[in-house]
Amino acid sequence: MSERQVVPALIRRALNELIRVPGAAIPGVLAPTIFMLGLTAVFGQVTHLPGFNGLDQYIAFVLPVGLLQGAGFTGAATGVNMARDIEQGWFDRLLLAPVSRPMLLAGIVGSASLRALIPTTTLVLVGMAFGVKFPGVAELFIAASLVMILAACTACWGAIIALKFRTQQAAPLMQIGSFVAVLFTAAYAPIGMLQPWLHTVATINPVNYVLTGVRQGFIGSVTWADTWPAYVAGFGLLAVLGTFAVRGMRRTGQ
Amino acid sequence: MLAIQANGLQRAFKGGIKAVDGIDLSIEQGEIYGFLGPNGAGKTTTVRMLVTLLLPTGGSATVAGHDVAKEAGAVRRRIGVALQEAALDSLMTGNELMLLQATLQGMKTDAAKKRCSELIERVGLTDAGDRRVGGYSGGMKRRLDLAMALVHSPSVLFLDEPTTGLDPTSRFTLWQEVSRLREEGTTVFLTTQYLEEADQLADRVGIIADGKIVAEGTPEALKRESGANHIEVILLEGSDPTAATAALSSLGEPMEASGKHDVSIRLREPGIGVADAVRVLDDAGLEVAEIELVKPSLDDVFMEKTGHRLEGSGDGES
Repeated sequence: MSERQVVPALIRRALNELIRVPGAAIPGVLAPTIFMLGLTAVFGQVTHLPGFNGLDQYIAFVLPVGLLQGAGFTGAATGVNMARDIEQGWFDRLLLAPVSRPMLLAGIVGSASLRALIPTTTLVLVGMAFGVKFPGVAELFIAASLVMILAACTACWGAIIALKFRTQQAAPLMQIGSFVAVLFTAAYAPIGMLQPWLHTVATINPVNYVLTGVRQGFIGSVTWADTWPAYVAGFGLLAVLGTFAVRGMRRTGQ
Repeated sequence: MLAIQANGLQRAFKGGIKAVDGIDLSIEQGEIYGFLGPNGAGKTTTVRMLVTLLLPTGGSATVAGHDVAKEAGAVRRRIGVALQEAALDSLMTGNELMLLQATLQGMKTDAAKKRCSELIERVGLTDAGDRRVGGYSGGMKRRLDLAMALVHSPSVLFLDEPTTGLDPTSRFTLWQEVSRLREEGTTVFLTTQYLEEADQLADRVGIIADGKIVAEGTPEALKRESGANHIEVILLEGSDPTAATAALSSLGEPMEASGKHDVSIRLREPGIGVADAVRVLDDAGLEVAEIELVKPSLDDVFMEKTGHRLEGSGDGES
């Protein structure tokens, strides 16, 4: 058996927790859903501003933000679980296995990618119940795959923090990474309406490209020009954070 | 080839604290090596270095012929480890955990299922195999942990305080399993704070204190080195302990009497026994309620080598 079998085995273990403790998924679903509905209720009329170019539904504009927040929560939860595993000694069991560190990490972050589909599905259904049009199968696939990539990124971030601090008390640091990354994008208003400094930050923020890629099916049509940068940004971010996470795993015990 | 070899193995932590300070080990294949020491002596740090979880800061070590620092992957393939505090996912069942462990060790599915089933039966968890581990007792968790450590038939097994906190029955069950491993030729590196455990199971014992090995040998040899047998006496009411001590001093050197005993004498020669002591006391007109010949224990060895009694020894010594 190849050591690649370790990846699905670790994913199964993480998903097992959701099956046996379904409540563990609630925060990652509830928070972005409330956020999406709350923002729509408060700022629903801002679409009348010129920068929105005639968009008629603010909820369709912020639903993709909710998807990224769901990915952020899922990734942070993965980091917290990893810190718990470190505290309880389970992580030693993984490190004692004759398995390469990137494979172990792939199993851990792979579970985050799959778990991110729970808030994604919920948010899309809630959004549709509130009038968001179905974006189309291909569009939804692009959005979901980008959300999964971002969940893997945030899980890597969570892993880096967990390996550094080795305690669940570092959970706020795990959560703040994705919170800040999503905040400094064109999350709540089109990029042209942002303050100059935020415009500049959003332009260089890879998460903004991911957001644009996720958003395109919900407020317009999918274009190649918005799709490839989203994947390049997502995979690029994953490569950087994954490298640091693997480095953290390799340095454990040194 | 030695199963475990260490030369000047060291581990220093931040601030220069040396948890392990240059230990040497030579453990033969198939040997059960008891590693004794109180909390904080360096036992767990030593184990963590030998199982590749912690890099040594000095010296070197090989396990199953592979360097723990340079060939960590090869070492991991050949060892089984049950660390302190059986780390088990309480939401998974025993069978699920066994299969996950087999997957982590790279076993093929069919072989893994067969082996897991054998081991679950061997540690007496067949009926509990489909139950979540969260509902297991401490003893059941320890047995499952042992089964998981054995899933890939390792040549060297590390057991870090496997019976700490267990009730006597669970402890005895685990001892039986370890004894069985000896028969199968598995090398076992067993850390413990229970002297009786080391005495019962280990072919050789190493005593670690303050990061250094202060004594090593078979339990019998260590006890022999530690000194002579002694006699413990409880006198009948009305008999004078001072007179008894004076009478018995012809057989050896008086010691501080321990616990309920009135007189303790370290015997001068191994040939002196209870009959000699009873005769001396009888000649002195002293009446005895209880008299006992006590042979040196590992606790005495530990006391002699480290200057203090081993924590937890009271739980383990009979």
